[in-house]
Amino acid sequence: MKRRHFLKSAITLPLVINGMKISTISAFNSFNTLNDSDRVLVLIQLNGGNDGLNSVIPLNQYDKLANLRSNVIIPENLIIPIGDNNAFHPSMQGMANLFTNGKMNIVQDVGYPNQNRSHFRSIDIWNSGSSANDFETTGWVGRYLDSIHADYPNGYPNSDCPDPLAINIGYAVHETCQGISSNFSTALVDPDNLSNIIESEPGSIDLNTCYGSELDFVRQSISQNNAYSGSVSTASNLGNNLANYPDEDLAQQLKIVARLISGGLQTSIYTVNIGGFDTHAGQVSNGNPENGVHANLLQTLSDAIAAFQSDLEQLGVDQRVLGMTYSEFGRQIKSNNSLGTDHGTAAPLFVFGSCVNAGIVGNNYEIPDVVPDQAGVPMQHDFRSVYGSILMDWFDVEESQVQDLLFPEFQHINIVQACTVDTDNPKLITPIQSYNFPNPFKNWTTIHFTSTGGWYKISIFDTLGHEIKVVSNQNFPSGDHQIKVDLSAFPSGMYHYRIISRDAQETKNLQKIN
Amino acid sequence: MNRRDSLATLLGKKKSQKTTTTSMAVTGLTPYTGSWEFKQAAHLLRRTTFGPNWGQIQDAVNDGLDATIAQLLTLTPLSQNPDPPINYYYEDDPDVAIGETWVNVPYSYQHRIHRRKSLEGWTTKLIIDEKISIREKMTLFWHNHFVIANFPAFSRYKYYYISKIRKNAIGNFRELTKEMTIDPMMLRYLNGFSNTKEAPNENYARELLELFTIGKGPIIAPGDYTFYTEHDVAEIAKILTGWGVSDNNTTGDYVQGKFNPNKHDTTDKQLSYHFNNEVISDAGENEYSILIDKIFEQDEVARFICRKIYRWFVHYDITDDIEINIIEPLAQILRDNDYEIAPTLNVLLSSQHFYDEERIGCMIKNPWDFAAGLVKQFQIQFPSEPATYYETYRVILQGAGGLQMEYFNPPNVAGWKPYYQAPNFYRIWLNSVTLPIRNFAIQTFVSQGIILFQDPAPTNIVGLAQVDYLSMLNNLSNPFDVNQVLADFIKLLFPKDIANNQKIILKEILTNGLPDFEWTDEYSLYASDPTNQAQANAIKSKINNLVSAMLTMPEYQLM
Repeated sequence: MKRRHFLKSAITLPLVINGMKISTISAFNSFNTLNDSDRVLVLIQLNGGNDGLNSVIPLNQYDKLANLRSNVIIPENLIIPIGDNNAFHPSMQGMANLFTNGKMNIVQDVGYPNQNRSHFRSIDIWNSGSSANDFETTGWVGRYLDSIHADYPNGYPNSDCPDPLAINIGYAVHETCQGISSNFSTALVDPDNLSNIIESEPGSIDLNTCYGSELDFVRQSISQNNAYSGSVSTASNLGNNLANYPDEDLAQQLKIVARLISGGLQTSIYTVNIGGFDTHAGQVSNGNPENGVHANLLQTLSDAIAAFQSDLEQLGVDQRVLGMTYSEFGRQIKSNNSLGTDHGTAAPLFVFGSCVNAGIVGNNYEIPDVVPDQAGVPMQHDFRSVYGSILMDWFDVEESQVQDLLFPEFQHINIVQACTVDTDNPKLITPIQSYNFPNPFKNWTTIHFTSTGGWYKISIFDTLGHEIKVVSNQNFPSGDHQIKVDLSAFPSGMYHYRIISRDAQETKNLQKIN
Repeated sequence: MNRRDSLATLLGKKKSQKTTTTSMAVTGLTPYTGSWEFKQAAHLLRRTTFGPNWGQIQDAVNDGLDATIAQLLTLTPLSQNPDPPINYYYEDDPDVAIGETWVNVPYSYQHRIHRRKSLEGWTTKLIIDEKISIREKMTLFWHNHFVIANFPAFSRYKYYYISKIRKNAIGNFRELTKEMTIDPMMLRYLNGFSNTKEAPNENYARELLELFTIGKGPIIAPGDYTFYTEHDVAEIAKILTGWGVSDNNTTGDYVQGKFNPNKHDTTDKQLSYHFNNEVISDAGENEYSILIDKIFEQDEVARFICRKIYRWFVHYDITDDIEINIIEPLAQILRDNDYEIAPTLNVLLSSQHFYDEERIGCMIKNPWDFAAGLVKQFQIQFPSEPATYYETYRVILQGAGGLQMEYFNPPNVAGWKPYYQAPNFYRIWLNSVTLPIRNFAIQTFVSQGIILFQDPAPTNIVGLAQVDYLSMLNNLSNPFDVNQVLADFIKLLFPKDIANNQKIILKEILTNGLPDFEWTDEYSLYASDPTNQAQANAIKSKINNLVSAMLTMPEYQLM
């Protein structure tokens, strides 16, 4: 795959120094990779599982949704159209403006095969960047940082890296930043109120004992607190905010982030959090579905992001910052009778900033006439492909390493682009031309698709998001192909097929009948 | 800086610092027969109560292991049903006079705040007043297990919720599960009260399986979590339909939820093969109980709760060895005892494994161990007027909340992350936000003690309750001997001995570098005439300095 090179930072350009490849000596040189042009990723975790269908409303599916979730759907005359086929919830004017101004990318229906509907397991999967069946104790950002800062925390901070590598605005470190031996994030609540802790004389610590290992952790935490509190205070004092932020927790968290970035803190990852998206009951106000808990949450989110982006632009640091939201799952297509929605499958994800390739990646999922109970929106995009695309295009990580860090089936998605407004936007997605026949079918159907040459994977999902069958996983020469799918072993009902290549995919419905 | 080394190479080079394995094989649940000294007694009491003091640990040494555990596990009717919280300051509640309880009067939004404060002060008082008993440690354990949170106005629900837990703190797990399932606070928290036959709500059914009883295993087939399936969740939601919370605006003891047969799904519900495809037919308001009996027939339930007990009392790292040699036999003991918790705790806390050198001292104190522990270890004496002690205790509860363990408000239904979130577990308690707060609390505590408040805290300060350093010193094994004084404080405040270089520094603080006999002379001078205020203060300030230095050491964060 041909990668665009304009994103590469200066460090990668002089590839050879004194006849040695820089990659072989850079571990020992004193390059400061973090400078004013270095990039920041801000992750916004929406805890609880955001209802994607009421956030980004598919206009061409509206009538069906109006039947399936009549008590929570937002009246059509109130929603905010974006693009041709979609609309935002009326609370999301701020984000709609970003979208219209070319500063927001929406990745449709992001999830993973074998969706787990437990909050805790699913958020672990999102934070670790693992598959549903692997238990990975490191976070995806942590693994990325480990690949650069292998010795952390030993010898940190240092003159090359004087600042925290990652910051979570909150009372704990963030799982996303968990590395192999320690967590890369520093917890921060109030940058104006940082204090040093006395560092006592250490005794002899035997790291091979449980006690020694925990004691060493406490000691390291104290010395890191002291080491980083100075640089964070300095950046906070030097930094500034120029936009007005709402008096809401999320906005105030982002305000701190903007101030630290503008103050020159060389931290590349920030995580912020907003809770309350688990809207089983009372998601909307009775009779006024445009109001209620979810409306307030989206308002808070949208206003906070809009204020943050405006601040970054006024501060002149917007071209260094990319933001992304994520949540552990979407919610079911059908609403429940408590004016709420239950745990579902995939949901849209928002990426924003002055350097995003604005637009919508993926299609609106075509909602069938009959939707089984508990069905969620099937995934189109794997969340690890979103992470990996950001690592490649924003942090300049090689594709092969992305596959190591995340997963071999990584697909590149054009989320990031040149920071100046580009009239010649690269196409967001190359849809795979595919269909299946017959449909509905009894035991078997045939998927027809056109290959552009290369790797394709076709798999079958049930309505709970489980990948029940991998039909094909191989290279296909350029041209038309037909793949027979045998579902005779499965009960009748609704299924989906998902066909992916390295840079495209399509998800469609299958209806198996008796 | 190199971004291009292959990750694999880096992974290969890098060794995890978190090695907790030793050459020592895991010892099992056989009764501990090793030496029973201060270190072992302190280990037991620190893990089972909140901050034992010098005298309590000495008593445990003298009483022996068995008698101490018997004492820990003996709950009297009085201790299981403490007097309810009272209105300690608020004059405007027509239903509750000052000095009276509010737990049996109708809900009032207008007067909710004083009731919430009262519940908070009362809860903290039970922790701080408790002597040698496992009750409060287990009450918090169950609160972290059967989580409820939010709803700051619902103090009455919370009172009955926590009272059921306290009463059953070391009782029967299955029966407690039944009580929790129809508890009004729980019905509110997990939407059970809106679970009806027309609109089944899966929230409680899912957590009942995933977090409260059997636990979730890997997905082994679509919708199949090893021990239960998505189908079970849907069927159990139906079984639990019809339970609601009746009118909260009544007088009296509002103990349990109310069953409405008209909202109950009377069809047959069939569980999956994990439960032998059992069909549960309509049994009205007893159906939940039949269901829970059915769940508790599964062996996995005992394993699941034993892992949580292990993480609460021993350590977070459940290796394969621990699973085989500790969890599995402990689970069998729990089953053999029909899910009675006390005998199970007895075996664990008496075991060889619990007293292994490897288990001692490697638990980071949770915020309640830390905050209540300070107050209890140093034997702070609180005033006897409710107006003061309620409000002061409430500030301690807020302090633990600031350290991220707010009573009645765990962050979500899985409880506090340090008890389940791999790989950091207990380490989650400490970071660059909470460490400075702990440090600040220590500095304030050492210099002035506990600030006493009356409503409204924190503006209305009415005094200080200070550490009596001199009586602490006088009670040590030999206060005339500076080395013994130091050794005793190390034993009291740290889980293990410290290095000589650290001792030298601490002794320097205690004696200003003078020879040992000078301490003996100084202390003798004080002991010969304790009314000599100047000399008493001189000794006291030395101990104060020592304690101040010791509490800021990382060793103090461990137990």
